[in-house]
Amino acid sequence: MKKLLRRLLLLGAIAGAVYAARGYLRAESAATESVQMVFDDGSTRSLASNTTEGREVTDIARKIVEIGL
Amino acid sequence: MAERSGTTEALDLVLADLRALSEDIESCAVLSGDQDLLSSSHTSAVDRERAGALLSALVNLSDRVARESGKNHASQLRIDAGDGHLLLVRLEGGGVLAATTGPEARVGLVLYDMRNSRGEVEKVLAKGSDE
Repeated sequence: MKKLLRRLLLLGAIAGAVYAARGYLRAESAATESVQMVFDDGSTRSLASNTTEGREVTDIARKIVEIGL
Repeated sequence: MAERSGTTEALDLVLADLRALSEDIESCAVLSGDQDLLSSSHTSAVDRERAGALLSALVNLSDRVARESGKNHASQLRIDAGDGHLLLVRLEGGGVLAATTGPEARVGLVLYDMRNSRGEVEKVLAKGSDE
């Protein structure tokens, strides 16, 4: 009985670790760089889509692309 | 008013040339430094106003991000909006030349063509403000 319980606990721990790793990898892949800014001095800055600024810029851009200019 | 429409007509011609040159461009517009939409593919005043307001909000937002990065403003902006791209090139005097493309567009090439057209747009704007 104890052995079974230990195995169940081990299985639960493995399942939890797999679930956490999946969530982490999914969040990583969702953070694509959707905005690229180039400044006068040639330097650049990228905003990832999972940041507040990146999301704000992308939301407005999406509406503009939808209605056209 | 006549001067304004002369400038708008001249800008329309420059934008038509740009669209002919860069087939990936779906729509394009010029926003002045005062954030007026000077030329656009929209014929309806409501759509023009909406497009102008959105573009103006985006320019303000990008200026804010630039200031946070210790810069005055972005000279070029490239945004992947999922269903397409929005590209902005800054003009002298604070205006912008903006264009939208489809998702499969050759964005680098479009930006190259936009940068080449920037001089013509600035020339028209400068002429309009002199008259």
